[in-house]
Amino acid sequence: MNEYLAPLWISLKTVLVATVITFVLGIAAARWMSRYTGKLKPLIDSAFILPLVLPPTVVGFGLLLLMGKHGWVGKFLSLFNTTVVFSWPATVITAAVMAFPLMYMTTRGAFEQVDKNIEDAARTLGASEWRVLYSVTLPMAWPGVVAGTILCFARSLGEFGATLMLAGNIPGKTTTIPVAIYFAIQDGDMKQAVYLMVIVLCIAFASLAALAFLKKPKPRTRGLLVNAAPTDILYAGRKKDNPS
Amino acid sequence: MLKVELKRKLLDFSLNVAFSVDGETLGILGPSGSGKTMTLLCIAGLIRPDSGFIQLNDRVLLDSSHKINLPSKARNVGLVFQNFALFPHLSARENIAYGIQNRSRQEVNQRVQVLIEKMGLDGLQQRYPHQLSAGQQQRVALARALAPEPEILLLDEPFSALDSLTKEQLEMQILDLRQFYKGNIILVTHDLAEAYRLSSRIAVYESGGIIQCDNKAKLIASPANLTVAKITGFRNLLPGTINDVTDSHISIVVPELGILKAVRYKHSRLSSGMSVTIGISPEYVKITDHPGENTVHGSLSRIVEEIRGYRCFFQLNSAQSTFYQLDAIISKSDKSIIPTLGSNVYLHLPPEYLVVITH
Repeated sequence: MNEYLAPLWISLKTVLVATVITFVLGIAAARWMSRYTGKLKPLIDSAFILPLVLPPTVVGFGLLLLMGKHGWVGKFLSLFNTTVVFSWPATVITAAVMAFPLMYMTTRGAFEQVDKNIEDAARTLGASEWRVLYSVTLPMAWPGVVAGTILCFARSLGEFGATLMLAGNIPGKTTTIPVAIYFAIQDGDMKQAVYLMVIVLCIAFASLAALAFLKKPKPRTRGLLVNAAPTDILYAGRKKDNPS
Repeated sequence: MLKVELKRKLLDFSLNVAFSVDGETLGILGPSGSGKTMTLLCIAGLIRPDSGFIQLNDRVLLDSSHKINLPSKARNVGLVFQNFALFPHLSARENIAYGIQNRSRQEVNQRVQVLIEKMGLDGLQQRYPHQLSAGQQQRVALARALAPEPEILLLDEPFSALDSLTKEQLEMQILDLRQFYKGNIILVTHDLAEAYRLSSRIAVYESGGIIQCDNKAKLIASPANLTVAKITGFRNLLPGTINDVTDSHISIVVPELGILKAVRYKHSRLSSGMSVTIGISPEYVKITDHPGENTVHGSLSRIVEEIRGYRCFFQLNSAQSTFYQLDAIISKSDKSIIPTLGSNVYLHLPPEYLVVITH
């Protein structure tokens, strides 16, 4: 039974850590890019979204080159006698890299919907940029941020290709649920495959449903999606709710 | 005391203004796109001008020649946005308290309470902006801006989103504000009547520049040029040439109509031969039945009934092709003096109300 549960445990750890990382980095990147007006904006923006459009195996291969023995990161890590390739942190890195674009795009869209006048009002009232972010921008963009987080969570849970490239399949160490299902089917172990599939189904469905029920009974001003369920923003048109 | 000098160049627009405010209410009047709001945002530190200088009381907020540019949060400037820009996720009370979070809890409570009473918001403290009427939202926005005791209050078209009744009440509120807020106020508007009621001086903006900045009475009595005259509501504009200037009067020859006299106020630069435009507000045009000085002849071509009077359009009889039209406002109580449509009457233009506008 324990070896049945091991992939679940590894996946949960991986997904939680990866979601926390993308949550922080995604918000930081979204904040930066929603205000950045330099010439490089389209390039940086594309770079952030790239993992979303690349085949996961390509991302995994890229990470492998970067973190392998001869890659920059690999060389740097070898100074401390460690390596991430085929270790548990590799599952976190791949999950975070693959999920990051979803967090970044959704959050940035939500940030750009926040009425700039309201942020400016906070500034004239003496608020620092940091306070503007946590007391105005984030609360107003919250449904979008939550939606991004759910997407990240789901994407990390389903990550397979890049994980297999960078973390491999080491049972009890790097074998996440999707990897375990794949190898279980290859080995003809249908019982294990079905068992894990049901678990994934339950987790995914439960988290989406829970968030849909978590409607914040809070203010809704003209056209702002403050009152929407976090999942609503996934379906909402980008520009139509812009108040002006 | 606020001193402002701003220059900002955009692709198809450039702002270049300089003015000062001294403990009074300055109205900034102008059409949309003339740079009014940009001026406010520059003062508030939300837009950075290409070059300029802003001094508020004894602090320099911006001095491009000395690379001084205080961030918005350090300027102590209160700004009320056109759409109020209240924090939708905070209650009225939390909105008002936002700018004074660094004070002690007791001080915050006290200050918020004072403002809630002054703004007539008692009982609405726990409401969220979407649960407030537009008028209430604006009072919250005013209270929020006033809470940190700003040295200047900037109002960006504060009434444009309101119906006329609410607007009237809030204008009173702003007039009453003067009893406890002694700082400078700048009011941006495109409504002359509103600017006149609420401010003591008015700066008229056009395409990024100030064309006249004067005491409001003077602005109406002697507009600096034709554009200002049109903005301040002169409809009856006649072209002419000065033929004589005395200490008390100016005589102007209007082609085909004859000589009109205007009382000379403080026109220092007037001299014979200058071409000018003379104007008179419709309410000062008098209908008479006999010819005389400063009287022109015309026929009534159209009557429009307004809420508080009749607007009568007269076509002036000129010998040739020149087409002149004058309009007069007759109050409802004087309805009997309105001649029948098409009849010929004399119109007296009192010299004391004729305004001479130089080009």
